[in-house]
Amino acid sequence: MTAAQFRTPWFWLSLLALMLLSLFVLYPLLNILTASFLGDGPSGWMRVIETPKYRQAIANTLILASAVTVICTLIGVPLAYVTARYTFPGKALIALLPLITLVIPEVIAAQTWLMMLGNNGLITKFLREFGIRLPSFYGWFGLITSMSFIYYTYVYIGTVAAISKFDAQLEEAAQSLGTAPVLSRLRVMLPVILPTILASALLVFTMAVGNFAISMILSHRLPLLSVATYQAAVAEGASDITMQSTLASVSVLIVMSVLFFNRWIVRRGRFEIVQGRGARPAALRGLGGLAVGRPSGAVVVISLLPLVTIAIGAFTRSRGPVMQWGEWTFDNLIRVFVTAPGPLVNSLVYAGVATFISIVFSALVSYLVVKKPNILTPWIDYVSAVPLALSGTVLGVGLLATFNSGWLSLSGTASIIVLAYVVRRMPFGMRNGQAVLHNIPNSLEEASISLGVPPVQSFFKVVLPVMLPAVASAAILTWTTTVAELSASILVYSGGRETLPIQIFRLIDSGLMAYASAYGLVLVAVILIPIIVATKVFGIDVFSRR
Amino acid sequence: MGIDISDLSVAYGTEKVISGLTLNIPEGCFFTLLGPSGCGKTTLLRTIAGFVPTCGGTIRFGGLDVTRLPPHRRAIGMVFQDYALFPDKTVVQNVGYGLRARGEKGTAARLKIDEALERVGLGALGDRHPAALSGGQRQRVALARALVIKPQVLLMDEPLSNLDAKLRIQIRETITELQREANITTVFVTHDQEEALSMSDLVGVMNRGAVEQLGTPQEIYARPLTGYVADFVGSANRLSADLRPHAQGLIEADIGPARILASDALVAPAEKGLLILRPEDLKITPAAQEGVQSVPATVRGRQYLGAKTSYRLDLGGAIEVTAESHETGHDRYAPGDRVSLGIDPALARVIAK
Repeated sequence: MTAAQFRTPWFWLSLLALMLLSLFVLYPLLNILTASFLGDGPSGWMRVIETPKYRQAIANTLILASAVTVICTLIGVPLAYVTARYTFPGKALIALLPLITLVIPEVIAAQTWLMMLGNNGLITKFLREFGIRLPSFYGWFGLITSMSFIYYTYVYIGTVAAISKFDAQLEEAAQSLGTAPVLSRLRVMLPVILPTILASALLVFTMAVGNFAISMILSHRLPLLSVATYQAAVAEGASDITMQSTLASVSVLIVMSVLFFNRWIVRRGRFEIVQGRGARPAALRGLGGLAVGRPSGAVVVISLLPLVTIAIGAFTRSRGPVMQWGEWTFDNLIRVFVTAPGPLVNSLVYAGVATFISIVFSALVSYLVVKKPNILTPWIDYVSAVPLALSGTVLGVGLLATFNSGWLSLSGTASIIVLAYVVRRMPFGMRNGQAVLHNIPNSLEEASISLGVPPVQSFFKVVLPVMLPAVASAAILTWTTTVAELSASILVYSGGRETLPIQIFRLIDSGLMAYASAYGLVLVAVILIPIIVATKVFGIDVFSRR
Repeated sequence: MGIDISDLSVAYGTEKVISGLTLNIPEGCFFTLLGPSGCGKTTLLRTIAGFVPTCGGTIRFGGLDVTRLPPHRRAIGMVFQDYALFPDKTVVQNVGYGLRARGEKGTAARLKIDEALERVGLGALGDRHPAALSGGQRQRVALARALVIKPQVLLMDEPLSNLDAKLRIQIRETITELQREANITTVFVTHDQEEALSMSDLVGVMNRGAVEQLGTPQEIYARPLTGYVADFVGSANRLSADLRPHAQGLIEADIGPARILASDALVAPAEKGLLILRPEDLKITPAAQEGVQSVPATVRGRQYLGAKTSYRLDLGGAIEVTAESHETGHDRYAPGDRVSLGIDPALARVIAK
């Protein structure tokens, strides 16, 4: 650290960024961790150990997350393998997968599964006419099914990327040395792509642990960690700060240990990620094509089902909770746009503001981290990754505990919802921003400075315009994820500030599926329209970076 | 405007990259910093530009101390190795960028831009984006952009290394012409000795953060002061020798199997030194010739290179030298042949070890 570093504006900007991050990320996290030890009566940890319900919630959550992880891997890896190595009828449909995970908010997925397979669901009723009784969709069956059919895409996307980067020459080398094709694939390719599969499987595990929407809607009487945390936070009368913080801490500890386990595996293996020419996909025709195409197609169709269901549901007449299938109406949509447009407006405003803040912040801060490193920037990098370890529920609890009162009282305002959005999205924005900046040579900025433009202006005149296409695609991704955010915002919102996902969640809770479908359809449109406009009109490749 | 550097020190973290460097570059001079990668030449250039902070010493442009001046206020023009053209701006906008920063707009600026583009032969390409230009064209835009602002000092960081061989020679000429025309003090960084020798008024050969020898291209090539310079500029056989004084300003170098008369380029008298023999100065003949200092040798290996043949010769006592033959039939000797190696004392030099 030389005196010269203090003279630049970059140091002071870094300091400001670190202070903001500490206030809005570290401080709430610290509050959660300490509150679990404080408070009147027995400490939260003692109560967790003594209360069967909480012990069960933790055990159930771990079992659920493990089951979902295994199933996702079993679906995702084979699907990835066949799409990376073969062409077959219906393969184009699979290209839609990343889109599906983005455009279908979890709350809508849970809802549509209920509409199909719930006690009053379409399929349940249909099968009942033939005397077939399905097990109740509430509980394990529904939780595992619906989570698996959402999260397998993460395993799929990660594995496809790894396989297509895998150098096919290694496989050929193994064959030239005398191993049979199938064996050489197993021996040579598997060890190389295994870290990626493991990383995406662990990501699924953490997402299942943190999952709120599906857990809340489908768990019914099955205790789960995120549901118990939420209930402790919003309990009628006095919300239980100690308990909610303790349960949130448990969740943080689980996710942290998974993340460290992942790092440990990657380090221990010292895998060199081999990059090279990927193999050309071979065509599968006839029986082989059908054998691969059918199950793959089925997986995709099942993933797409929610879209179809809410589209139908949104135009279906209902009387209270009873859907009158086959009778069509516009009433539901009229409610969304005319009678009760509050959630739509709120969502647009909050997500819009959050997207703007998030993009500006992550562009500037990743610029500091990549291009102007000083003693503070590594810390900025670490702290901005912390939200990865916080599920939405945990973050909501932290923000609620921290900004409920005191010198910075945000609860009851819209700003705490925007804050929750921004913090949740931060690690992704930073990762994207840093990746983009690593590809912009320093000389560009130095050229501008050498021509007489001061450093800060040079950033805006030269670096920012070059970053712009990437920033635009990041903005769209941020928009799609914030507008669908539920688990943190449902804890911090106040009356009159319902967003679309919150409204949908409440309507599902009341059993008003037709209204929920209408709001859901609008939510999907709000997510999809910017993506379509960006790709078709501006030619921005939204899905190249994640 | 000349550049005066005195007692300059630069460090990356705790590692000293340059320490106590003093260098004067006269006004209007085309000065080249020549050295291998990692010798500190780019660091020195970037320190002159102001991108690398100093930790001691001063840098003056025409008497004005700029050591603490930020780079955007140093009135430099800089050409980067990767051109660093702004990809979102057209050629005209790129060239006009520095003018705008100086508040020059409108037709006056446009005239300057057009003139600058005309000078580098790109008058017709003003509306293109950098992506639509070839490597040579990009290099010319970068030159025009640096020169249009009439900088006090032009700094170039290996500007030709991304170009193919033919283009490199073409742009070399463009650069020297423009530099002479504008009479602008220029610091040019390269690891290519041919560029350094062909373009410069003065060359500084850098080694480990210090300028090891400073001189005109002719001096650097013909009269290297150190083994490092001799080997880096051109190539050289470096042989350890015991020295004995001789008449007529010559010195006798005993390399073991032979005693060779050479010119004395020692800084101070010494008993041991390095005998420097350039491969192209050695003459291979079938037998010793009258009046020529000759050493018997055996051919050990040869590489036929078209215009010349390079031979590996054994002088005995495990001493080998490389010699090149250029005359017709230069590939006539074969491994195992006994030959005679003619050495002109004026071209053989003894320097300090």
